[in-house]
Amino acid sequence: MSNGQAIQSAAAAPRRRGFSQHMNEVSLFVAIVVLYVVFTTTANGFMSFNNQINILRDAATIGIAAWAATLIIISGEIDVSVGPMVAFISVALAYLLQWGIPTPLAFVLAIVVGAALGSIAGILRAYFDVPSFVGTLGLWSALRGTALFVTDALPVSIGRNDIVDMLDRPVLGVPPAAIIMLLLFAVFAFVSRKTAFGRSVYAIGGNPQAAFLSGINVSRIRVMLFAIAGAMAAVSGILLLSRLGSGNATAASGLEFDVIAAVVVGGTALSGGRGSMLGTLLGVLVITLIGNGLVLLGINPFFQQVVRGLIIVVAVLANIQAIKRGAARNKG
Amino acid sequence: MTQTASKSRIEPAAGTIAALEGCTKRYPGVLALDNATLRIAPGEVRALLGKNGAGKSTLIRLLTGAEAPDAGTVTVDGAVLVHSGSARAQEAFGRGVRVVYQELSLVPGMSIAENLFLGRWPRQAGVLDYARMEAEAREAMQRLGLDMPPSDLVAGLSPAERQLVEIARVLLGKPKLVILDEPTSSLAAAEAEKVMAAVKRIAAEGIAVIYISHRMNEIRQIARSATVMRDGRIIDTVDVAGADTREIVRLMLGSEAAQSAALETRAHGKVILEVADLALAPKLSAVSFKLREGEVLGIAGLLGAGRTELLQAIMGVRPFDRGRISVDGKDVRRPGYRAMLDRGFGYTPESRKEEGIVPLLGVDENTVVTDFSAVSSGGVLSARRIAEATRKVVARLHVKTADTDTPIGTLSGDNQQKVVIGRWVHAGSRVLLLDEPTRGVDVEAKAQIYAIIRQLAAEGRSVIFVSSEIEELPLVCDRVLVLREGRLMEEFTSPDIDQDAVMAACIAGH
Repeated sequence: MSNGQAIQSAAAAPRRRGFSQHMNEVSLFVAIVVLYVVFTTTANGFMSFNNQINILRDAATIGIAAWAATLIIISGEIDVSVGPMVAFISVALAYLLQWGIPTPLAFVLAIVVGAALGSIAGILRAYFDVPSFVGTLGLWSALRGTALFVTDALPVSIGRNDIVDMLDRPVLGVPPAAIIMLLLFAVFAFVSRKTAFGRSVYAIGGNPQAAFLSGINVSRIRVMLFAIAGAMAAVSGILLLSRLGSGNATAASGLEFDVIAAVVVGGTALSGGRGSMLGTLLGVLVITLIGNGLVLLGINPFFQQVVRGLIIVVAVLANIQAIKRGAARNKG
Repeated sequence: MTQTASKSRIEPAAGTIAALEGCTKRYPGVLALDNATLRIAPGEVRALLGKNGAGKSTLIRLLTGAEAPDAGTVTVDGAVLVHSGSARAQEAFGRGVRVVYQELSLVPGMSIAENLFLGRWPRQAGVLDYARMEAEAREAMQRLGLDMPPSDLVAGLSPAERQLVEIARVLLGKPKLVILDEPTSSLAAAEAEKVMAAVKRIAAEGIAVIYISHRMNEIRQIARSATVMRDGRIIDTVDVAGADTREIVRLMLGSEAAQSAALETRAHGKVILEVADLALAPKLSAVSFKLREGEVLGIAGLLGAGRTELLQAIMGVRPFDRGRISVDGKDVRRPGYRAMLDRGFGYTPESRKEEGIVPLLGVDENTVVTDFSAVSSGGVLSARRIAEATRKVVARLHVKTADTDTPIGTLSGDNQQKVVIGRWVHAGSRVLLLDEPTRGVDVEAKAQIYAIIRQLAAEGRSVIFVSSEIEELPLVCDRVLVLREGRLMEEFTSPDIDQDAVMAACIAGH
């Protein structure tokens, strides 16, 4: 009786929550527009077709890893092993191809290896209570070290390979990496909103104990998340190989920080339980645009890092303020 | 100034230390406080009663200066509060108003003394002055009957002792009025005694106390008069000694009189759960009982009697040393939490904030989390089915929520608790293990929870109901087992569940 009324009257009340829920995405979108305006007016060739394609391709490097990282961070964990994982997989794949393993099979193996390596951190977290920062830091060091040790820091060439080359050949002007990134985005957005797995990730990040007592298999989901992150890093590794034409142990250096920055700029809380794929997509664009624009502006590469650091912090700060204002308006 | 006509039957003892005169406070869409007048005398313990949303918190916020009234005046220690904004709170604080909140705010890894002075540790030449800190701490602790060394870590204290440390912290500031917001809500009866003894002590020093609690027997012990609030109004101030509990409950609920969950005795079905010789050192020894289909089995016992451990052992959350658990006559070979859920069990933990809810997620997701497959088709969640399933639970358990997807963290504790129970209704569980489901829940919600438990039993589901509020056991249970120091001591069967006898069985030997 009384509760039925409560629901009805609330449904009749104006639904202001919808807007404030998307405050984060709206403010990021504004930031992207601002970046476009600034770079278009100041950086030569920013709006050229070629450069826009470059942006998309660069976005793919960060984006594919960032989709998985978003789920990991929503679940209250962190993965710092992305860069070395990508480099390691590109090297491993290069060797597989050198040994004459059929290319499609080599791709599958690369993804399996990535998932297996990632799940190591997941198992350490889920069953042995090793914090994911520590587990993935171990991977970060060990994978980079192994790749460098095995290759002596030299590129591992794969020679001519049609399938690999095809992955770097634009389709109607769009690089396959960008298409793969967008397809995976759709998959991750769907999974995060529309599947029990995705909602369980939010529940675990919001309160792992409550999630467990509600019957969610917390340990298995944690392992799966890191396995997925490993697999996504492997996809990036495959694309890296196709772009460079060789496996490269020194590549993707510092990628993990771009990935985490994109997720955080996208409004996902490092404390877990809160975040969205759309936010991360916009965050990836922000990070990529900044990188691209600063290069075009001819800013000293060392100083670029300073500017990037500043912009990331300011973006997150502005985002938090916007969400707070939205929440306050919603209350009042 | 205290001699204006008052509705209260009890005249202020000697003067007034704090008073609201005709205070009204309106929030957008809500009249939170309507022309309230309240006077508290020094050394008086005044109980404040009312279901959640009755206006108790608003009244407290006016007394502490957190808010200014739209109309009326707030007087503390002989002067009207005049400032606004944060200066008003400082003004009230300066005149000696202090609140001890329900949520504890202690740092477990620091000593009692450090906690008492948290953030304003006495210093000498820039170095912490531990001697002075501990001397002052000891003095404040003694006033409350806490006699351990102030250098002890808070981590080693019992919940009641922690609550006393919170009160001691307030005493350091030489308060005139101390407001206690449900100080015993998380304590068992024997533990609560310590807090009440401390309240009596500080009242004897001449400090006025406003005591908010849902527990009538506590109020009878320490308060002379009780002010009852409903819908933002002060309904009456009654002489506790002369008032009947039912009368007070009627004042709190108004027209919506308390539903009494009349128990119809009936034959129960087959044995669904059997526990034999369960032992878990040092918490449980040789516990055996049976639970039948459609039966509500109460488990009474003091805090630390092993109630939670018993439920957790059955659910497979906590490994046990010896004993046997069988479900439907079949032994549970490898107990595990998820395996028990698969057998149709459901469990609600004692601490709903820490273990029950995912505050950021909506009521809907907090409900369907126990069974996503029921609201999916082909592995894809259906928004429509989620909303339908949630609406069912919301209606059945009388959850008050603006919408089905309102974040559960924004709901009151009562409603959160209903959702935590409701998620097992969604999952279709046939055996529910509820650990203190009515703790910190207001009178109306308690009655609703009793009613839903009875309904579930009538449908043939079984419930194990753990409670430290003995007066509620006869209202809900077909049978009550008393657990004392890890052993089953006595069994009572409806309608012969006598509160006093149950209490005696709980504390015998203490």
